Amino acid sequence: MKTVRVTLEVNNEKIRLEVKPYETLLETLRERLSLTGAKEACSLGSCGACTILLNGTPVRSCLILTPEVDGASITTIEGLQKGDKLHPLQEAFMEKGAVQCGFCTSGMIITAKGLLDRNSKPDKKAIIKTMSSNICRCTGYKKIVEAVEEASRRPE
Amino acid sequence: MILPRFEYKKARTIEEALELYSRYNGEAFYLAGGTDLIPLLKLRLFNPRAVIDIKGIQGLRAISKKAGSLIVGPNVTLYELKDNLEVRGYLPCLSESLDATSCETLQMRGTIGGNILQNTRCLQYNKSLEWRTARGFCYKMGGETCNVVPGVRSCLSNYCGDNAPALMTVDAKVRLVGPEGERTVKIEKLFSGDGKIPFNVKKGEFITEIIIPLKKTDGAYEKLTVRGSIDYPLVGVAVTAKDDYARIAVTGIGPSPRLYELKKINVKAINDIADKAYEDARPVLNAVLTPAYRKKMVRVLIKKACNRLGLGGSK
Repeated sequence: MKTVRVTLEVNNEKIRLEVKPYETLLETLRERLSLTGAKEACSLGSCGACTILLNGTPVRSCLILTPEVDGASITTIEGLQKGDKLHPLQEAFMEKGAVQCGFCTSGMIITAKGLLDRNSKPDKKAIIKTMSSNICRCTGYKKIVEAVEEASRRPE
Repeated sequence: MILPRFEYKKARTIEEALELYSRYNGEAFYLAGGTDLIPLLKLRLFNPRAVIDIKGIQGLRAISKKAGSLIVGPNVTLYELKDNLEVRGYLPCLSESLDATSCETLQMRGTIGGNILQNTRCLQYNKSLEWRTARGFCYKMGGETCNVVPGVRSCLSNYCGDNAPALMTVDAKVRLVGPEGERTVKIEKLFSGDGKIPFNVKKGEFITEIIIPLKKTDGAYEKLTVRGSIDYPLVGVAVTAKDDYARIAVTGIGPSPRLYELKKINVKAINDIADKAYEDARPVLNAVLTPAYRKKMVRVLIKKACNRLGLGGSK
């Protein structure tokens, strides 16, 4: 099987890789680059645990082939903090207790980041609508919405 | 879940995509957003030798206006289309159906072309290979029976697109290109009515344009779901009205949406159409709600959508 050569910019770092043509972006991130923040849960695009930012847009990385995104810029949960300082969303999630088992958290935060990048002051309705892209099986949605509201009040 | 082995090819032009398709003897799939295709491959419902990525083809991701029509490229994402001012202002039914599709993150990846041609679904079909092997293959997997209704003659899987029915109500057409050339068809003609091969799309064809007449219309889309997000329609009803004429399409039940016309809008005519759609709907036990409930909701949702629009003075 022929491999495919791709260049990616992952969390501001240029990376050259040879990947399988049928390799998902999630597999590349987790298994080649050890970025295990994005999770594999349903693997069929339903749950959102694997959400990452692709050129600034939140997408399900389990549904994307790595060769499709050659040349793209990718941000994962590991790329949000600046130095030792966590992103306001990460801080707000901790403060509001928006993390229960934690499996959905990275996807939730990336989806919320996508929203705040498009609309820095979303109302509660917009937050709920956007966050409904992701499933939390602990059903801790209330605190997740509160955390996003809180983060929207803080400067990045 | 690991994908099966296939090759990845990127097409830069329509000609290149067609050439790649014939090079793989048709054992290839066109790939746009991938939100429908990749899960099907993961479940081993298809095993292509290659996928042909058509996202890089110039011109397939543009929205333009020509001769009173909105020309939408198939690679326009659902989210982009939803944000389009013409769609919002002139085509409220489509605007609502786009908004009701799945969730925002999937709308940002999924394309309108792929959404129209998404495969039909069934509780007994969208399962892993191991599950399906244990159960026995049905018509849609190349078997000799239906696992939902034994004895039925053809596949009854459900078409679960939200946007094709909305496009049917605004009289949209699609332009297809394939090895045998180009053709333009009304969107309702795309459906074969048999869930095994749900589309009248020839081998190697793909959509190059969606042509929507730009007329100011009233419209609404109502959808029965269990969650309210990341849901396929268990019943979907699209209504578009202009002056004294309306079109209603029902999706989510059976392999193709059903289209109805209202030539004069009044309460009786709406009730008659709602009754007829109720009679026509033949849901079977292949989705997560009971057939009886889904059937009832056809009538309810048609009336709800019409009421919301105030059709026939019903507001």
